[in-house]
Amino acid sequence: MQTKEFKIRWGMVIDIDKCTGCGACMVGCQVENNIAPMTKSDPYNYVQALTKPRDDASNKLRTLTWMNVYELSNGKAFPEHETAYLPRPCMQCGSPACVPVCPVVATDKNEEGGIVSQIYPRCIGCRYCMAACPYHARYFNWWDPLWPEGMDKGLSPSTSVRPRGVVEKCSFCHSRYLQAKDKARMDGEDPMNLPEGAYTTACADICPTKAITFGDLNNPEHKVHELSKSPHAFRLLEKLGLHPQVYYMSEREWVRKQGDNYNAEAGGHH
Amino acid sequence: MSVARRTFIQLGAGATVGILFTPTVWKALDDVSIWTQNWPWIPKLKYGAVEAKPTVSKMCESGCAVKVRTVAGEPFGTMGNEDNPISGGGICPLCANGVQVKNSPNRIKAPMLDGQEITWEKAQEVVAEKLAAAGSKVAVISGDQTGTANEVFSALLADKGSDAFYMMPCDMQAADKAWTGLMGGSGQVGYDLEGADLVLLAGADALESWGPTVANLKSFAANESGKFIFAGPMQTKTASVTSLWVPVPAEGMAAFTLGIAYYVLQAGKTVDTADFGQFKAMVMSEYSPAKVEAATGVKADRMADLAKQLLTASNPVVVPAGPVAAHGAAFALNLLLGGAMKALPEFGKAIPSAMSRSEMLKADILEGVDTDLLFIYEANPAYALPEKVKAGFTVAFDVVQTETTATANLVLPSLHPYERFDDLASPYGLAAATYSLGAPVCKPSVDAISAATFILGLADLGFESFEEVLGAKAEAVGADMEALQGGEAFVAEGETPAAASLAANVLGKAAVPVKGTGAVGLAPYTLLNVGTANQATTPNAPCTISNNQLVGDHMVVMMGSATAKQLGVSVGSKVKLSGGKGDCEALVQIFEGVMPGVVAAPLGLGHTVGDEFSKGKGDNVYKILTVSSEAAAGASTWAGSTVNVAKI
Ligand code: SF4
Ligand code: SF4
Repeated sequence: MQTKEFKIRWGMVIDIDKCTGCGACMVGCQVENNIAPMTKSDPYNYVQALTKPRDDASNKLRTLTWMNVYELSNGKAFPEHETAYLPRPCMQCGSPACVPVCPVVATDKNEEGGIVSQIYPRCIGCRYCMAACPYHARYFNWWDPLWPEGMDKGLSPSTSVRPRGVVEKCSFCHSRYLQAKDKARMDGEDPMNLPEGAYTTACADICPTKAITFGDLNNPEHKVHELSKSPHAFRLLEKLGLHPQVYYMSEREWVRKQGDNYNAEAGGHH
Repeated sequence: MSVARRTFIQLGAGATVGILFTPTVWKALDDVSIWTQNWPWIPKLKYGAVEAKPTVSKMCESGCAVKVRTVAGEPFGTMGNEDNPISGGGICPLCANGVQVKNSPNRIKAPMLDGQEITWEKAQEVVAEKLAAAGSKVAVISGDQTGTANEVFSALLADKGSDAFYMMPCDMQAADKAWTGLMGGSGQVGYDLEGADLVLLAGADALESWGPTVANLKSFAANESGKFIFAGPMQTKTASVTSLWVPVPAEGMAAFTLGIAYYVLQAGKTVDTADFGQFKAMVMSEYSPAKVEAATGVKADRMADLAKQLLTASNPVVVPAGPVAAHGAAFALNLLLGGAMKALPEFGKAIPSAMSRSEMLKADILEGVDTDLLFIYEANPAYALPEKVKAGFTVAFDVVQTETTATANLVLPSLHPYERFDDLASPYGLAAATYSLGAPVCKPSVDAISAATFILGLADLGFESFEEVLGAKAEAVGADMEALQGGEAFVAEGETPAAASLAANVLGKAAVPVKGTGAVGLAPYTLLNVGTANQATTPNAPCTISNNQLVGDHMVVMMGSATAKQLGVSVGSKVKLSGGKGDCEALVQIFEGVMPGVVAAPLGLGHTVGDEFSKGKGDNVYKILTVSSEAAAGASTWAGSTVNVAKI
């Protein structure tokens, strides 16, 4: 698929040398986007006796975590061992692998800003996009989203709750983009030229070390523009040619090597 | 007609294109998917004005200043408070789930006497009666390190003629015992992590779970030119971003620090205290690099190099954790270096008869508690203390049900931090004395009241409500109430620390590693998303817990491959760890970032009471900690805990 050009290209630069892997971004993302905490019991399942209990969050194959933090290791033994953490949202790829495989056009990259959208009511749950995404950024909603009694009071007004059977993924907190554009219009400013910080994602907002910087990669007035060009910047699996809009930074060479699935030392991605 | 594979593919492709271009199919698909999304159990969103209201959170030990996001008045999320130096905009994974804990079905909904629901009036009557009967045999255990609620509890004790105020074990306590106790210093110790050009974290996992974590992370991010070094038995998350990890066993931290002090003294650094000569002689003879290397395994040239870096830095700081001796050694080293350690002034008290913070930190809970009437304020000793606390009658105040509320005679529901007035006075570790205030941002979800207000109803302490106490506190601090309520903090700069003594006597005896007799060392560690001594993991956090801590319902312990070989275990082996007064079950994971001969185990798992997100997950490592006595320092510690590992 050809890379579409956008005047605005929302993107992230994640500084791995600042990420402590604390998990605040993951929790923040779930709260912002109404991802239900996974519960074992389902009060609406009237045939409990015939079915198995639902998975809880210990089953990493069934969790919904649009943002996921991976642990990296340099693969060496004590005391040469080093470790690092790599947060992974959807890369909002320039030529996404997930888009052309969708039979019902539930996912697309069309909007100005270059965010890969996912239209849940259109998704038929075939999961071709999950198979196609090399970053494992898409998640299947195996279970109906249920909040234990009383906890559904605290739903965020940003994102509607998705039912079982659809594929979900990080949208760069798209509702925040819409809000930022609305606000700009109301303030008589140009919604197509948002200043730094007018639109930022929940994970970037929450990160206590500010390891995640968010902005328009095309806009020289946004920090990410410069950061993405740093000699320490790299993208994941760049050789696949999907042109991710998420960049990483690290001064550590072994970290950068793992980003591209570098395999020269037979260590490779951990 | 023969249907060759090729023809079949062509047919199939035609059909697909047909579907894609036929609007009826599309419409039907859309309708079906939208229809299947309208089940009654798929919750609808609430719409209305979105606001962000400042308050304080007490989710972790140090507390944090946050803003609660509300929609039409109903809280849904938490964000950092940029106007407050404690959070500076970021939050931790615990705070990120504060609202979800507030709405949890695990909330205590009403006062419970021996398992039976009672009214608040009845609760008041029962406690008043017990209080009259107990005389001066009343004690308090507090899990709150920063709140003025402690003043209310300690004023009640003073009124009854008791001084049995216990804090749950914390680094602030060890620091106070070393600083004001052994060294005759004044004020509370703080560390300028933002202004220092070299930070040696001597056991303090400051970027993950030590002290005011969010403030530390913010300082780390803001300190672009400073160098951070972590020393400890394992490569923690903090170590993953510092420029160097120095493997040091927890029980050897004081000796290691004095080993560095050896070189610093050799370079001619002095401190103006009466026992400086004695201190110098003690370090030069007892903590020579060769001796320290033999005791801790840390190479002499590594200590020499660290000393050189500290000496050439213009504003270095050493941040300790663990035993009192480790704190004393670090403070002595900081005094020699004259860097970024600070002594913070203590804020004035709201209640004159209350204890000062330093007085509250004096009693040692690990030596055991035995009393007639015990108040437990938002602490979970039944879970986090290896020793049982004995009391004739126990009153536990908490927001949610815990192991402690399950065993208490009377359980009183506390308001959640987002529903109440509360404050944060100088969380331990900050470089400046900082005061923040929190006001309710929403109505209580359950029939709870302020624990401090309840206590004020039991004795004449000069105040009717906790809100009034906080007014008096703000006045004593000298802060502007309006600015505080707007989310700003009152900040008083720290002072240059001065000590009367370097505790030469005590350090000479207490800094030698004391280790248990088990086969391997135990390195317990805390990750905020896994939980703390007070707070179990939060509803949205379990998916953030990695399989180095938890796989399914099984706890995971980590060790290096050399240790695994020594113990005859490998990845996935099921083992039993025995130590202290109990044992734990775990699966083995190989992580080369753990010192040889040490097994690293996560604290915070293994709850037997709680919500479905924390209960029954993993095992409780507090059970296998061994309390040993730092005889010379007059304190208890569980550094130096060891375990035996058996394959099961
Ligand atoms: S990361 Fe995966 S899901 Fe996201 S745009 Fe790229 S291919 Fe699609
Ligand atoms: S950008 Fe938004 S949706 Fe994507 S990972 Fe971050 S918080 Fe989640």
